Amino acid sequence: MSYISASGVKFSYDEEGQNVLNSVNLKVNKGEFVALLGHNGCGKSTMAKTLNALLIPKEGVVYVDGMDTSDEEVTYEIRRNVGLVLQNPDNQLVASIIEEDVAFGPENLGIEPEEIRRRVDNALKAVDMYEYRTHAPHKLSGGQKQRVAIAGIIAMEPSCIVFDEPTAMLDPNGREEVMRTIKTLKEKGITVVLITHYMDEAVLADRVVVMDKGEILTQGTPEEVFSQVHLMKKYSLDVPQATELAYKLIGVGLRFSKMPLNTDECISLLEEVLS
Amino acid sequence: MIRDITLGQFIPGNGIVHRTDPRVKIILLVALIVLIFCTFNFAALALITAAILGIIVLSGIPVKMYFKSLKVIIFIIIITSLLNMFYGTGEPIWQLGVLKLTLSGIYRAVFVSVRIILLILISSCLTFTTSPTDLTDAIERLMKPLKVFHIKVHEIAMMMTIALRFVPTLLEETDKIMSAQKSRGADMESGGLIKKVKSMTPVLIPLFVSAFRRAFELAMAMECRCYQGGEGRTRMKTLHVHRLDIICIIFTVLLLAGVVLCDIFIAPII
Amino acid sequence: MSIIEVKDLSFTYGVGTPFEKNAVNSLNLSINEGEVIGLIGHTGSGKSTFVQMLNGLIKPDSGQVLLNGSDIWAKPKEIRKIRFKVGMVFQYPEYQLFDQTVYADISFGPRNKGLSEEEIDKIVRKSAKFVGLSDKLLKQSPFDLSGGEKRRAAIAGVIAMDPDVLVLDEPTAGLDPLGRDLLLSQIMQYHRDRKNTIIVVSHSMEDVARIADRVMVMNKGKLEMFDTPKKVFSQAEKLESMGLRVPQITKIMLSLKEKGFEFSDGILTVEQAFSEIVSLLKKEGKV
Repeated sequence: MSYISASGVKFSYDEEGQNVLNSVNLKVNKGEFVALLGHNGCGKSTMAKTLNALLIPKEGVVYVDGMDTSDEEVTYEIRRNVGLVLQNPDNQLVASIIEEDVAFGPENLGIEPEEIRRRVDNALKAVDMYEYRTHAPHKLSGGQKQRVAIAGIIAMEPSCIVFDEPTAMLDPNGREEVMRTIKTLKEKGITVVLITHYMDEAVLADRVVVMDKGEILTQGTPEEVFSQVHLMKKYSLDVPQATELAYKLIGVGLRFSKMPLNTDECISLLEEVLS
Repeated sequence: MIRDITLGQFIPGNGIVHRTDPRVKIILLVALIVLIFCTFNFAALALITAAILGIIVLSGIPVKMYFKSLKVIIFIIIITSLLNMFYGTGEPIWQLGVLKLTLSGIYRAVFVSVRIILLILISSCLTFTTSPTDLTDAIERLMKPLKVFHIKVHEIAMMMTIALRFVPTLLEETDKIMSAQKSRGADMESGGLIKKVKSMTPVLIPLFVSAFRRAFELAMAMECRCYQGGEGRTRMKTLHVHRLDIICIIFTVLLLAGVVLCDIFIAPII
Repeated sequence: MSIIEVKDLSFTYGVGTPFEKNAVNSLNLSINEGEVIGLIGHTGSGKSTFVQMLNGLIKPDSGQVLLNGSDIWAKPKEIRKIRFKVGMVFQYPEYQLFDQTVYADISFGPRNKGLSEEEIDKIVRKSAKFVGLSDKLLKQSPFDLSGGEKRRAAIAGVIAMDPDVLVLDEPTAGLDPLGRDLLLSQIMQYHRDRKNTIIVVSHSMEDVARIADRVMVMNKGKLEMFDTPKKVFSQAEKLESMGLRVPQITKIMLSLKEKGFEFSDGILTVEQAFSEIVSLLKKEGKV
């Protein structure tokens, strides 16, 4: 059974307003890395917030590990299991000392002090921020702050983390730091849902789900999704430059054994075809 | 620039003063402040000055930082001492028109300025050596008995924690918005008070809007991290009273006794 | 003719504190009238400090900024006048919106400049048009606009001062591909119309490659490169050693070139790469 299962989810922010989500069906398996793609206003962030009971669907249901998100009895159990990392790292940090911020979640869960200490240390090591544990957040770079925010979620030991455009406000170095962290989390068996509009981030996922106007447009492996260059362009979405080049070359009669998604794949495929 | 304020800045360290329980430090601070205002002769003043200077040396914070926090109030010190100097009673030792300089006035000026300086020094010492979170934590714990009177101690402490966390962020933001509006030709330097206040509107409105947006996002982030108020919440750092803290308490009691003895056995001069 | 000349410009933050940091270190360069300059460098390279010295927000410790041949700090009391000539759009400029209507907000700059109501009305409408804001939107509160519209309204507020030099710090940060393409094309349309000098600070080399005539690369407060995009981006290794990332397509073509294929240097767009490959294939008779 899927870890997260959303079916027929509809949502609108005001009563008579337009639906931001329109019958979305989404399943996420345990340990899977799913990227949710689409441009601003397509409903992807709203979707993210239905996954940890921050928003309750107007119609349809979301199940997390068999628990219905509309059941208030299990709200905090769901939030402990599905962590949510938001876009602006500054507005997620509560305390003026990093390790105390990371401890905030476990403290809310009523965990024993020694256990909190262990979790905080582990979480900070997992995001490679352990040596900064006594620093103040405002002195850190954007990427470092976002990693601390991730540590704050890891310390609750969730099975799944939803990232809502975690790199949108970061510079390229910060983006890389955060993406590296996400990859290691996935390797540790944590289920990852990444919301983004950066294609180079989406190609790292096991499955890409493209949303438009509150609906799922298409989904599949990154290769399946991004080889539909025409469809992606029609909806003003980027595809990786490597994929776009290959797509154009296929148009003039070249044949590739697979669709390249990154720089290295593209180089070796082109080398093969050209020589 | 606004960012240069040193008062209330925590400087990490591992000295004796840093390691003392923040609750003990707060009690000590309150006791010392009371004592500072209970000195009526030079012996008592010297005793308390020595004690405070001792603590400052032990704190291991560069003396420069203390001077920086004194700089902020230097005008207050000068003005109050001048006022005190010329408002004494008794034989004038020097006179110019209505201005009468008396010995008691000079004594009074010395006491007032030394008291203010000591007050600033010892409070800076507390904020330099205690992290803001430790401080709010200690206040929360010390205020716990107030729960009996239905005072929301946890909520107040959480508000203080968040305020402390966001002060630097909002200062930085103010700087940024000011630069942006200056770039659009906003004139914030010239003109009278009313014009100056008015010229701050383009800074204050975006700042409020941003503070609200941050508050909204932070509340959501806190919900994501299972925040449900103080009920059932534990803390990573538990405070235990160590030998060091007992020594501090004994030190305070001795100091108290010393000052009281000085006040009893030596005639007051102010 | 050069519109901006920078001579030995230096600035250090927090002199005498433990946080002392040399942000800009004896910079020398000149920018021609009507050029579009892309300025790249990783966070902390001094690029933000540098551009804030161009409109007098930061006063240099030493050195000069010459605007049309005269030192902008010649009369420190009149530095405000420089800000109308060198317009500055900060990162996330939507956070500076404050007035009751979009119209009033855009007119803030021109009003500070001391224009007449008639002139203000003309320039506000013209600026709004450049960034594609309709008359209907002008009457709304800026806080009711969408994210992308807010961004464009804020940019219009700077364009409305009719500056000779327009500096944009990360204008596309946080926008999705659709919003990014729209904004960049509007900026370029404005440039073609107004023919002024534009400096775009950006992390996105793809954006810079698309619009810039020349690219400035800053690293550790120094100017490392200042040349055409083609020449700058052909030095992929050097850029990467400064913590910068070259566009994916540039990297692909460079490494194929190293493997012996005859491609030109510094290919920046998919279109260029495509036509290079096609012409190679034609030469070999494969297509």
